[in-house]
Amino acid sequence: MTENSDNDLNIDQTTDTAVGLGKGLDVGTANLAAAVQNDEGGITVNVERNAFLDIPSDVYSKNMLTKLKVPYVVHNGKLVVIGEAAFELANVFGRETRRPMADGLVSPNEQDALPMMKMIIQKILGEPQVPGENCYFCVPAESLDVDNNVVYHQGLFESMISKLGYTAHAINEAHAVIFSELADNDFTGIGLSFGGGMANACIAYKSIPCLSFSVARGGDWVDKNVANVLGVPRSKATSIKERGIDIRDPKSREEEAVAIYYRSLINYVLSNIKTRFESGQNMPSFNDPVDIACAGGTSMVGGFIEVFREEFAKIDFPIPVGRIFRSEEALTAVAKGCLVAAAIGED
Amino acid sequence: MESVNQIKEALSARSRTATLDELRNEGRKRVRLIRAEHIAQMVSEAVHAAVEQSGLLGQEEVDGLIAKSREEFKGILREREQELERARANEQELVELKARFEELTGALARTRAELERAQADLEEAQQRADAQASAASAPPDPPQPSAAPVSNEMVMSLMQELANLKASVAVQQQNQQGQSAPAAAAAPDLSAAIEKLAGTLNERLDSFGKKMGISAAVDGDAPVDFGGLFKDEDESLESNMDNIQVKQKSGGGIAANLAKLKKLKGGG
Repeated sequence: MTENSDNDLNIDQTTDTAVGLGKGLDVGTANLAAAVQNDEGGITVNVERNAFLDIPSDVYSKNMLTKLKVPYVVHNGKLVVIGEAAFELANVFGRETRRPMADGLVSPNEQDALPMMKMIIQKILGEPQVPGENCYFCVPAESLDVDNNVVYHQGLFESMISKLGYTAHAINEAHAVIFSELADNDFTGIGLSFGGGMANACIAYKSIPCLSFSVARGGDWVDKNVANVLGVPRSKATSIKERGIDIRDPKSREEEAVAIYYRSLINYVLSNIKTRFESGQNMPSFNDPVDIACAGGTSMVGGFIEVFREEFAKIDFPIPVGRIFRSEEALTAVAKGCLVAAAIGED
Repeated sequence: MESVNQIKEALSARSRTATLDELRNEGRKRVRLIRAEHIAQMVSEAVHAAVEQSGLLGQEEVDGLIAKSREEFKGILREREQELERARANEQELVELKARFEELTGALARTRAELERAQADLEEAQQRADAQASAASAPPDPPQPSAAPVSNEMVMSLMQELANLKASVAVQQQNQQGQSAPAAAAAPDLSAAIEKLAGTLNERLDSFGKKMGISAAVDGDAPVDFGGLFKDEDESLESNMDNIQVKQKSGGGIAANLAKLKKLKGGG
């Protein structure tokens, strides 16, 4: 969230070059995504799952992984499979993936995973186009329901990204959703990011964030509870969730469990948002109804926005709301918002 | 080996076990001791002599028997020496383990004592912190008797500050009465005195917090350098990441978003 004169320089560079400078990085509990402008006027987003799995190291396994185009790192004498492949292997072998982050922040139980995370980020970000190129990365807001602190998390990634040759800036995750999704509303409204570890909320007026907070429940919470009730590993629960189900119309006991916990998650997030808005602290008042934009990987399940609207209708929301919609690029919306901030040189 | 064991068994069967006290009661002050091996050796020698003298075996066979007996004896001797060596090694190990145990016991006792002292220091420090916090939030009245113990130096300092504050107020009142100065002039001095008092308290809380190692009190607003977290990771790890393509997604451009933002900023 820092701002300096370098940002103003980048505005000029953005307008002068064919491919705009600046990169956006979504540091998510479940996925890491890096967005950059391409020469076709669109954006390209590199996505990798934020997970890894260690397996015994031997020459045969290394050769096999390379042939199968499975990324690995040798760390502390172990062969560490990284990203989506780790998730798939974990499902095959009935194991749990190791996760560098939990509840939206760097996991205290996986400190030795930082080198792996750095490699993934280096891979998806690539080299800076110019030395010190702006890179805006998302950080969660402090939570309403748990006592957490983002200072260490933010500082750690600022340092990591700086070491890769970028000028690192932090931006609130839900604020990035507003940059990405609410341009037609002059960046006024409510951005919600449903991630793996958290749900982040931000209410902004003409791009200026008025209020940001989070609740420490997300897709992982759904996975954990589904895994518990079905007696399967979490990776398996994630797989059930991501195989294309519709939570309005579950077809099996497994899908029923996913649907139940999804509805509970949405209800929990909305209730907390309502309570926070009702508290009145730092709350802006709007003359016209504001839109709610939902994004994040957890919002990609079929029927999400319909269930969200159903649950929203059950509560007496304290501010007038117009349209409720989900981003068309829900998984990459945060990275895109970070890219917008990087390009404009503003947080 | 076998003959020795047989002799041992024979000796056990034909002998009795007596304690030293029992022997003493029987009037024996000294007893002669002989090892079973020696008896076996004597028996062996006696047999050899008897066989040799009997003329039943030829000299060659006798020599063979003698050589075999010597081998057997040497084997027994080696075995006993090894047993003795093992026993000595075990004894030495036991001595070392006892010494190590005593050393660790001492270290544990010292650590416990240090821990107790640290806990006592922490409790005392917490009491002081509570006292300072309550002093900071209370009106500038004399300290309440129920307050937690505060150091003499701190109390003296606070009392001095209060005395200065009272003196300042008194001077203001005199000025107001004697010179009928405008009331507005008194306010800044009073405010300054209160601010000074609050500042002193804050400084003391900060100082105390630094001693306690409370992170919020130790340069809370100073930027934290996390660069050291990656200093060990500059060395390259073995990986095949360079040859792997990550999953790519394409998305709509951000030109419209940038244009809107620039317009909002008044730049376009």
